[in-house]
Amino acid sequence: MIGYILRRAAVALSVAFTVSVVSFLLLHLSGDLAVAIAGPEATPAQVEQIRLEYGLDRPLWVQYGEWLAGAVQFDFGRSFFFREDVSTLVLDRLPVTMTLGAIALAFAVVLAVPLGVVAAIRPNSWLDRVALTIAVAGQAMPSFWFALVLILVVGVQLRWLPISGNDTWQHFVLPAIALGYYATPAIMRLTRTGMLDVLSSDYIRTARAKGLRTSTVLVKHALRNAIIPVVALAAVQLGFMLGGSVVIETIFALHGLGHLAWESISRNDFPVVQAVVLILAMFYILLTFLADLLNAWLDPKIRVA
Amino acid sequence: MTNATALPDKAEAAPALGAGARMRRRVFGNHSLMVGSVILLAILLVAVLAPLIAPHDPYAQDVSRRLIPPIWQEKGTWEHVLGTDKLGRDYLSRLIYGAQISLMIGLLAAAASAVIGIALGVAAGYFGGRVDSVVSYIVTTRLSMPVVLVALAVVGVIGGSLTVVILTLGLLLWDRYAVVTRSATMQIRESEYVAAAQAIGCSTPRIILGEILPNIMNPIIVVATLEVAHAILLEAALSFLGLGVQPPLPSWGLMIAEAKQYMFFSPWVIMVPGVALFVLVLAINLVGDGVRDVTAPESRN
Amino acid sequence: MSIEIKKAVLSSAAVAAALAVAQPALAGKANDTLVYASDSEPESVSPYHNNVREGVILARNAWDTLLWRDPGSGEYVPLLATSWEWVDDKTLDVELRQGVTFHNGEPFDADDVVFTFNYVVTPEAKVVTKQNVEWIESAEKLGPYKVRIHTKGPFPAALEYLSGPTPIYPNEYFEKVGLEGYSKAPVGTGPYKITRVDVGKGVSLEKFDGYFKDSPRGEASIGKLEFRVIPDAETRVAELMTGGVDWIWRVPADQADQLEQMPNVEVLNAETMRVAYLAMDAAGRTAEDSPFKDIRVRRAVAHAIDRQAIVDNLVRGASRVMHAACFPSQFGCDMEAVKKYEYDPAKAKELLAEAGYKDGFKTDIYAYREREYTEAMMGYLRDVGIDANLHFLKYAALRDLQRAGKVPLNSQTWGSFSVNDVSAFTGVYFKGGPDDYAMDAEVTELLEKGDVTTDPAKRKELYREALQKIAEQAYWLPLFSYSTNYAFTSDLSFEAQPDEVVRFYMASWK
Repeated sequence: MIGYILRRAAVALSVAFTVSVVSFLLLHLSGDLAVAIAGPEATPAQVEQIRLEYGLDRPLWVQYGEWLAGAVQFDFGRSFFFREDVSTLVLDRLPVTMTLGAIALAFAVVLAVPLGVVAAIRPNSWLDRVALTIAVAGQAMPSFWFALVLILVVGVQLRWLPISGNDTWQHFVLPAIALGYYATPAIMRLTRTGMLDVLSSDYIRTARAKGLRTSTVLVKHALRNAIIPVVALAAVQLGFMLGGSVVIETIFALHGLGHLAWESISRNDFPVVQAVVLILAMFYILLTFLADLLNAWLDPKIRVA
Repeated sequence: MTNATALPDKAEAAPALGAGARMRRRVFGNHSLMVGSVILLAILLVAVLAPLIAPHDPYAQDVSRRLIPPIWQEKGTWEHVLGTDKLGRDYLSRLIYGAQISLMIGLLAAAASAVIGIALGVAAGYFGGRVDSVVSYIVTTRLSMPVVLVALAVVGVIGGSLTVVILTLGLLLWDRYAVVTRSATMQIRESEYVAAAQAIGCSTPRIILGEILPNIMNPIIVVATLEVAHAILLEAALSFLGLGVQPPLPSWGLMIAEAKQYMFFSPWVIMVPGVALFVLVLAINLVGDGVRDVTAPESRN
Repeated sequence: MSIEIKKAVLSSAAVAAALAVAQPALAGKANDTLVYASDSEPESVSPYHNNVREGVILARNAWDTLLWRDPGSGEYVPLLATSWEWVDDKTLDVELRQGVTFHNGEPFDADDVVFTFNYVVTPEAKVVTKQNVEWIESAEKLGPYKVRIHTKGPFPAALEYLSGPTPIYPNEYFEKVGLEGYSKAPVGTGPYKITRVDVGKGVSLEKFDGYFKDSPRGEASIGKLEFRVIPDAETRVAELMTGGVDWIWRVPADQADQLEQMPNVEVLNAETMRVAYLAMDAAGRTAEDSPFKDIRVRRAVAHAIDRQAIVDNLVRGASRVMHAACFPSQFGCDMEAVKKYEYDPAKAKELLAEAGYKDGFKTDIYAYREREYTEAMMGYLRDVGIDANLHFLKYAALRDLQRAGKVPLNSQTWGSFSVNDVSAFTGVYFKGGPDDYAMDAEVTELLEKGDVTTDPAKRKELYREALQKIAEQAYWLPLFSYSTNYAFTSDLSFEAQPDEVVRFYMASWK
């Protein structure tokens, strides 16, 4: 097991490194940063001055090396735009995105797992189909459109929930629904499949034969076994959500990482974009790593492969 | 993502039937496939026949006749069934041509990513060993990059256009193809006819093109449908943020973005393209699910 | 209905009610807090270190300048100064007001003015709004309340600049906390003091009780201001409709019309100094054979676009069609003296045919804001056979291309930094710099002369000639002035000015 963990960790680290190289190149080769930083009313001389000041005249690999040396110590340089440490900005915004991701995931799980269980109890019935339709609808809806509809109906017409900002937990409800719905079908299907497998196992048949109540069998025995792969999947989904929260954060004026990144893209605030991409990638890598460990722990066959 | 749907499969219970008939029964007995296909065909038809059925030129503007309400509202006219947009262009015609654009982006992006994903997946599955490790590594790296952010960053700097959007999405959405073709290829590689082909000295490209690819088409089709849907949604998101298709091209995502302004007082402006997009993506997903159930009944669970 | 279901319905209704009550009610007249929302965040609240409108608003509400341009009369009146005098055309002596204090209690005197001006011209200050201060050579203390300002050359527009984008900083406080500290807890002398800065999210302000009584700007009436950054336009509208926000601006015309119908919302439209224009590559910078090198093609473009229809149907409000490359209230801007191009698609086609483009041609058009305006122009150009392919970019990206000489048709706007002088508009684009796509030596010479001529009549004459040549050659097609729709709670009494400087200190609750 330890050998497996080490191997996986090594892969995770090198993936993180590759991501940093790719995103560095991608962002760096895309336009003249000096002009972007100098702003709309700068003269060419000012642009040149900034180029020297920020070291943008040096070869790319030198700039990358310097950036990486800082990044491993969580020092991402200074934001071109805010003139503040990128790490400060990122740390300031991180909790909002994390909270959003967590609530969105909670919403997805709370919706998807019962749907999956219900679908598995009566497979191929109309109940199964309704459950699947509810879940699949989430995947087909453009999340930004869904977000606007939520604002229109729940925020403006019903006035049940606040529309923008991140002052209280209520502020996170609408964005979390808009973001979390997309993840519902995957979780629902996995729950359903897992439940079907478990329910047809000898072990459950024995429990039923012993005369235990159906609900006890379902929750205590079946779900408990079916849920672990779902947890692994959920971890991965959380990684996706953190990366996909850009539009949602922008619409609901949640000042999180996604919105920071999007604004920074439009301002060519390269150090910030670079840092956010790397941090989100790290989160994803960490979460998949944990999911892998969980799966490996469950299924020793994986460890050998 | 794991998408294992088990839908009714009565055909299995009737082993006496011939393979063709069994397949037919599976296809027609599959509700999601049927419903999805009918809707998808309808939208495809609309897209292809756009020049014939669109009542107006979708680009013809008349700023003095802007924002005419749709037919079911008080001031609606039959001339503009769904009303006109902010520049006085016929909304229905734009919606019809929009189907063309959205479908084209979905299909081309999915095709572009198919080329990359299948090449990597087949290579990994067929050669195994070191090639496999490298491909897995590339796939993991790609999965770790936040797609939306990367797409935004790239398109934000180059500037959006139809080609840029298709290429960007094509370069980003190949991971699922790679994963699926890799495992499918691994299975086929061990099969007798590949061994036979190798024995009679067929070249590797010939084996891959002649033996492997045709046999892994089914899972590829399933992934392709999912990616078409995915690409359409991502394009919509990009267009929504102003970085997708450029006007006056009427993609549905762009139409939603343009309609946003009117959502509080004329909600139908945003509902029409939103629902259209929803139905299209839903139909594609249903077809994808259906194809999986029909072609690979053994892997349903 | 079964009892269970009833219970469920009742309890969910209770939850909903609780949620509704739980909403923080911060905005509005009831607690004397005006919440205003906008999409952008100033990168630094220090007025010299940001160049967004939201920053200008904060600057004009929380800081004072030496002079003040009375928005009503357009006259320059003393603010932190009491009087001024030109010693020669490069030296300005200013007497300062006594008894003014900064928000932190530091008294205002000559040291503050001298410090501010000498600081902002140093490269170390990394001032973002360089064009607003680069005319200053240095400042010198003549007495505890008297300063002398040296300009780099004759600079007739100095008073305009001293009454707007040059707020005065407290020297002692600034030197103690440095720029970083100052951006987080800024201090000025203005009618409002900034109490909290949440980088990128918002700013809180409170009425400054110690504001000097005889200020021509008068005391603020509303107790607290709260600036919230809400990036999405529709979210801002939704917040206004539900009372979460009291004031928003830049509301699109259609939405403004509809908001106006709401009982609790008021809408105000005012023209702004921002002017839209279409720049054409007359110098052939994009390609040797650029069609826009031909004056007939440029004039065809000018005749092809129905600017009046765009103004009437799309931009609406107080906006007007523009004919000269400047804004009418700017010194030296004479709209009447230049050649005007009427909407005449037939003539446009004729001109194109004469120029050898009987079947039209393909080109690329670039834009960065209000896509629908550009779209409308493309529609008109399409009608006369010019097929323009749209590239909609972020400003910074477009600017790159523009400076690199790659933009044949440029759908642009310019707001002149609210500076009421032609040098802040025409001068930026026609003096042979990287943004100049006309490269007309004669125009450049006229503008350069105008910038340093102190005699107002002569100055006007020089600018007029330059503007005439630009219009006659159709280097640019000036399109229209923008107008801004402000929408706010009907509890608020608010007035707007063309310079888009939002003066909350003049607003009050009804």
